[in-house]
Amino acid sequence: MVSKMMRESQFQEHNRFFLNMGPQHPSTHGVLLVVLEMDGEYVLDPQPVLGFIHRMHEKMGESRPCQGFMPNTARMDYVCALPYNHGYVSLIEKKAGIEVPKRAEYIRVITSELNRVASHLLWLGAYLLDLGAFTPILYGFDDREHILDILEDITGSRLTYCYYRFGGVTQDIDDKFVESTRAFIKRLRKRFDIYERLVTKNIIFIKRAENIGIISRDMAIRYGITGPNLRGSGIAYDIRKNEPYSVYPEFDFEVPVGENGDCLDRYMVRVREMEQSLRIIEQALDTLPDGPVRSKVPKNIKLAPGDCNFAVEAARGELSYYLVGDGTSVPYRLKIRVPSYSNLSCLPELGEGILLPDLVSIMGSMDLVIPEIDR
Amino acid sequence: MGTFEDFKTHVRNLGDEVTETDFDQRGYHLDVVLTVNTVREFAQTAYDHGFYLVFVTGFHVLPETGEGGKTSGLEVVYQFAMYDRLCRVKARVSVPEDLTVPSICHIYQGANWHERETRDFYGIRFSDHPNLEPLLLCEEDKDFHPLLKEEKKLKSFEAVSWPAQRPDTADMDTETSSDG
Repeated sequence: MVSKMMRESQFQEHNRFFLNMGPQHPSTHGVLLVVLEMDGEYVLDPQPVLGFIHRMHEKMGESRPCQGFMPNTARMDYVCALPYNHGYVSLIEKKAGIEVPKRAEYIRVITSELNRVASHLLWLGAYLLDLGAFTPILYGFDDREHILDILEDITGSRLTYCYYRFGGVTQDIDDKFVESTRAFIKRLRKRFDIYERLVTKNIIFIKRAENIGIISRDMAIRYGITGPNLRGSGIAYDIRKNEPYSVYPEFDFEVPVGENGDCLDRYMVRVREMEQSLRIIEQALDTLPDGPVRSKVPKNIKLAPGDCNFAVEAARGELSYYLVGDGTSVPYRLKIRVPSYSNLSCLPELGEGILLPDLVSIMGSMDLVIPEIDR
Repeated sequence: MGTFEDFKTHVRNLGDEVTETDFDQRGYHLDVVLTVNTVREFAQTAYDHGFYLVFVTGFHVLPETGEGGKTSGLEVVYQFAMYDRLCRVKARVSVPEDLTVPSICHIYQGANWHERETRDFYGIRFSDHPNLEPLLLCEEDKDFHPLLKEEKKLKSFEAVSWPAQRPDTADMDTETSSDG
């Protein structure tokens, strides 16, 4: 009996093998390696291996005056960099007691939301590309290109923005910006219909996304999952609403949630979020106050002793900056809590015992940005 | 799942020091000082009350020489928050000389990576961690901990903390000047 069991287990052992997914795999979106223990077509244990693009941003933040860290904030999550700018400037402003003109806060919200839409559009294309649909990424990039053009005009860069400053933004927006943003909103609303016909009602897509990778509330709590990945599970947790910052409380917008917490719900949440972002931008443009866009800030910003936390809603979830000051302008400690880090950490549990193509679907639906995880 | 008051009472019963903080100033509501023996119980209490794990990280200050001998100068900092209501909790535990703190990743599985990262950056070990291997740094740099500060850059814990809470809360301006 024992020998028979041993033989069976040996047989099973022989059927198992390890598969390296990445670090150059198209669906790992950056340099992520997932070591998969496989049993035939089934994944037994997917273990992400991190650190390929680790740059130690926290050390850089602790070894130079706080102004010098601004460009770094855009190089963590480069797909949605402006909320990272936003979190850092808001943190320092809070710590050093710097006032921000209202117009500047409005501009920050408008540009951050545009960036969020751009990020979601890129994700939409990339996710469907993972699932084998080639066309949507062309549509997604087409629309995203408009946002990049709009943002390039005022920020000077297309991807790694460094537009916000302590006490405001680098330069005011002009009529051309307002015009082209309004035109873009109009255009994107029409395009939503195309996306819906092309993707949302596509039976192949639904089969690949429905009831796959279900995240429960308990699982979200244990791993600290936030952002659209959490809202897909029916929990309306959005830092913009739950821990209001900037001028978000002045705008009327909804927090879309899903029901089951599967890949399809995460997809639906992001698509509906784009519309909500457009609503915020519209309202902000309508009520844009006049005035300066930058207040007077001392050259040498002193960070008073003590710690301070500031959280913002990035495109992928909760981004927290935790800073400890020591009275100088160099942060004594700067911890950056990035959303994708916690979101990805549930993969070993989520991907246990599923088919390999489903793992690709799950990872795609999570909207991972690896340089943000590795920091 | 209990209320916030319920949570505070629970944590106080564990013997931990709980201080309510000014959220507008610090960005969190509660500051909890744990001991090595209460880390797990605290994490369990937080989990039972529906808190999710925000992050785990380390913190390095000048070691103190007190009655109990020399301290390591290291701290592990935890942050928890809630989905349903605005509530952020910071908890910290002083790391003993053997640099070992109990792991909480059997309660919060998400702490697994955070603790591995803290080992990478600070060299703090977490007992009962299932896989305390380098996460972000490479195998060859196993004994290199980049966030440990050089001796001349280390500051005492008092120099990097908020001044003790005074009876009147409107003391933002005086605080910054008195410590400059």
